[in-house]
Amino acid sequence: MPKQKNDILQGTLGLLVLKTLEAQGKMHGYAITAHIQQASAELLRVEEGSLYPALHRMEQDGWVRAEWGTTEKNRQARFYTLTAAGRKQLAREQESWARLTEGVRRVLRYA
Amino acid sequence: MAWYRRFVNLMRSERLSRDLDREMAFHLSERADQLMAGGLSEPEAAQEARRRFGNRTLQKERMRDADVLVWLESLLADLRYAARGFRKSPGFALVAILSLGLGIGANTAIFSLIDAVMLKSLPVGHPEELVQVMIGDNDRLTNPIWEQLRDRKDLFSSVFAFSEPTFDLASGGEARRVLGAWVSGGFFPGLDIRPAAGRLLKAEDDFRGCPPVAVVTYGFWQSQYGGQAAAVGKTLSLDGHPFEIVGVTAPGFFGVDVGHAPQVYAPLCAEAIVQGPDSALDQRSYWFLSVVGRPRPEIPEETLRTRLALASREVFTATLPPRWSSEQQQRYLKGTLRFQEVAKGISNLRLRFREALLVLMGVVGLVLLIACANVANLLLARATVRQREIAVRISIGAGRRRLVRQLLTESTLLSLAGAALGIPFAHWGSRLLVGFFSTREDPTWLDLAVDGRVLAFTLAVAMATGIVFGLAPAWQALRVDPQAAMKEKGRGIAEGSSRFSLGKVLVIGQVALSLVLVAVAGLLLGSFRKLATLDPGFRHEGVLLVTIDLHDKSPAKGPRYLDYRQTLDGLREVPGVRSASASMITPVSGWGWNEGVLIDGYAPKTSDDNLIWFNAVSDGYFATLGTRIVLGRDFDGHEGLGSPPVAILNETAARKLFGRANPVGRSFRVSQGNRTDPAVEIIGVVADAKYQSLREKDSATAYLPIGQHERLGPSYNLALRMDGPVAPLIPAVRERLGHEASGTSYTLSLLSTQVDESLTRERLLATLSGFFGVLALLLAGIGLYGTVAYSVARRRHELAIRLTLGASRARVLRKVLGEVGRMVGIGVGLGILLALATTRWVASFLFGLTASDPAVLALAAVTLAAVAFVAGAVPAWRATRLDPIVSLREE
Repeated sequence: MPKQKNDILQGTLGLLVLKTLEAQGKMHGYAITAHIQQASAELLRVEEGSLYPALHRMEQDGWVRAEWGTTEKNRQARFYTLTAAGRKQLAREQESWARLTEGVRRVLRYA
Repeated sequence: MAWYRRFVNLMRSERLSRDLDREMAFHLSERADQLMAGGLSEPEAAQEARRRFGNRTLQKERMRDADVLVWLESLLADLRYAARGFRKSPGFALVAILSLGLGIGANTAIFSLIDAVMLKSLPVGHPEELVQVMIGDNDRLTNPIWEQLRDRKDLFSSVFAFSEPTFDLASGGEARRVLGAWVSGGFFPGLDIRPAAGRLLKAEDDFRGCPPVAVVTYGFWQSQYGGQAAAVGKTLSLDGHPFEIVGVTAPGFFGVDVGHAPQVYAPLCAEAIVQGPDSALDQRSYWFLSVVGRPRPEIPEETLRTRLALASREVFTATLPPRWSSEQQQRYLKGTLRFQEVAKGISNLRLRFREALLVLMGVVGLVLLIACANVANLLLARATVRQREIAVRISIGAGRRRLVRQLLTESTLLSLAGAALGIPFAHWGSRLLVGFFSTREDPTWLDLAVDGRVLAFTLAVAMATGIVFGLAPAWQALRVDPQAAMKEKGRGIAEGSSRFSLGKVLVIGQVALSLVLVAVAGLLLGSFRKLATLDPGFRHEGVLLVTIDLHDKSPAKGPRYLDYRQTLDGLREVPGVRSASASMITPVSGWGWNEGVLIDGYAPKTSDDNLIWFNAVSDGYFATLGTRIVLGRDFDGHEGLGSPPVAILNETAARKLFGRANPVGRSFRVSQGNRTDPAVEIIGVVADAKYQSLREKDSATAYLPIGQHERLGPSYNLALRMDGPVAPLIPAVRERLGHEASGTSYTLSLLSTQVDESLTRERLLATLSGFFGVLALLLAGIGLYGTVAYSVARRRHELAIRLTLGASRARVLRKVLGEVGRMVGIGVGLGILLALATTRWVASFLFGLTASDPAVLALAAVTLAAVAFVAGAVPAWRATRLDPIVSLREE
């Protein structure tokens, strides 16, 4: 994957994960990856491993909570949920994303 | 908090690593399943899953690094940012670091004293095992009792006794005194000490009739012998007797007495050599030994108690003093031995100065708080200047918590810098303070080496102060509305015009705390002044004291009696000596002698009722010391052992024994145990004079003629009142002493020094609290000046508008002054309440004043109010001198 694309995606990965958890509730890492790919209609494809450092960081910052659980297939997995602080962070990141895209759109329109 | 979690994760990395592996394995198997469902074979699916996942080890590493790195990086970034900020405003940083350095340094100095005196364990092997043998609350035993305890293996695994006499190193002439110690043979083995050279005393050195050997300390060895190995084997003269040096103790060893460091240790048996017929080794009522030991560790509590009770009975029966009255003997036999833990050593210094040190700790704690308030105000002012920057940072997404962390890092950096400055200041200060404890007779030595406890204390204080004063701007920063802050200049973080802004609250707090300090200082200074200026009943300026030590081995009477007369007459002839006299005890020296007294027809109500303090003096004593003779006459110098016994009473004694009647011509007897001495006729009454301490309430004193006193003790004193300054006349005195009292050793001192030294503790408290009181005033003044100047500067705009709209300068000035006055008023009021609540903790040190003395409080309040008001008024007045047009144009 070209380097720049990856960087931008890494930067917004947090936003995507938070939104996913808000919409879908309790999920494990694989399900989050799958959801992002699916919801973006395959437009977004991340190096799947890079999700985990991001999840780890978000757990440190207190935006998500994690606990071990069992899937329907009886496998051990770590499930993540959004915390209240995480909800606030999601709102913040959505707002700054909206500002960013709006700004970029306007500059591009300005011929 | 996020960083706490990060830190914890660092510790649990093993488990985390395994968890991560499991999680990633799960992900891979899910992905592989999905790919297999899409048609791939198992090995292909696994490979593709791994490919999509990326490098697992890399991800793990990134997570691990993220923990430490993020934490460390943000910390370093904060520190760099803080340092840059300080470099840009060096004045502010300097003032802050200096005031913090002073506050933290003072706290560390007092704490290191507290540590050395009260907290450190003895630098010996296993100090926690040591106990002292006491009889009830008495800590001194006689040698016969010690000898009974020495061999009791049923109680102790090791036990030893010691006493701390001073030795005269000179052989005749003016004395060179050094603190020494008589130690039993088990002292060094019991303490588990190694020698630095030669050998230490052991059990074989301590037996009756032993040869005179001695061990010196490392410091003594260095200073007197240059640390040369040849010192071992040399001879030392102790009170005129030769002792052979057999060894040197290791550096750092100071014995068992915190506050004293004996330099020369000699075996207890050698006391007989030095004291000769005055030896205490067989005296059953001379209490001079401290006994310390290690009890057998395997004995349970109960058994120990029974054994001690049994031992008490045996010991006291075996050592009963035969010549005591039966009542006294019964009391003696009922004595019980008990053990007292002494891991921190025995210390008279600790007893005398414990509360004073704690009071000082409170004082410097207050000073630090006031300094913190100042720095907090400085930071608040600075935060206002930086409000734009802070607002921008908030709006681009920096969490407020991150901001608070950054501000707290700044403040902690400041206080750590202050602590770095404060430590050398504390080092110097604590040594200076030890000088306050020392007197000529009793120099203090403390192990002030900085240990882990002191460092930990300093660090904790620094961190705590950093957070305490950093909270002020941090709290304000949390409340900032970034958009408002960016828009308007001149409003925002530290609202000066609102009634109770944080800055104002801080100033009010400072004023209140300063008032408490100034009040305490006033009380302690006032007490000290009262003590120093009270009339002690004698005049102490210009009096030289000569203490003559009698070493001779000849019997008590005869030659000693002649000695004093000859020496006294000889000294009276020295030009410049206006009057001279001899006495057994000098005023306020700490020595005392009392006896019960019987009068025909007077029945004492309690055993204290007929207790009189005694002194034996020559003719001319009262004239020399300047004590007025009220009735009757002085001794004439011819009283001797053959002539009828006479005495002089002081007014309190006369009143106590005879009421209003004239005591001259009446008589009393001294009661001593079973016998009663012959009747003593009273020939005169003198004015009251302080006996043991300046603080005492009237003590009833009786003076006997020194010529009729049966035994002149090991030393007696001569007092010489000089015509004019004392120092130039000393050589003549020395010469005459060499002539008249050759072969004896003597010490010279001033009576005024002796009186001063009795007020050591009061002087320490008065000086330090005065110093810190002034410091508090200064800090409060600076704080107030800064706050008002700053608030006025920010409201320049508003004030300028008022002026242009027609308000007179006076009105504006009054408005600002009104605010200053309000702050000061509330602060002073609060301070008075606080002072009333807290000064009771110094009540035990006061003299002539109560803890809530209204005059002192009023004076403190007025002083503080005046200083604070001036400090606030100056910038206010300067503000009104501004040209309004200029101010407005600057907007």
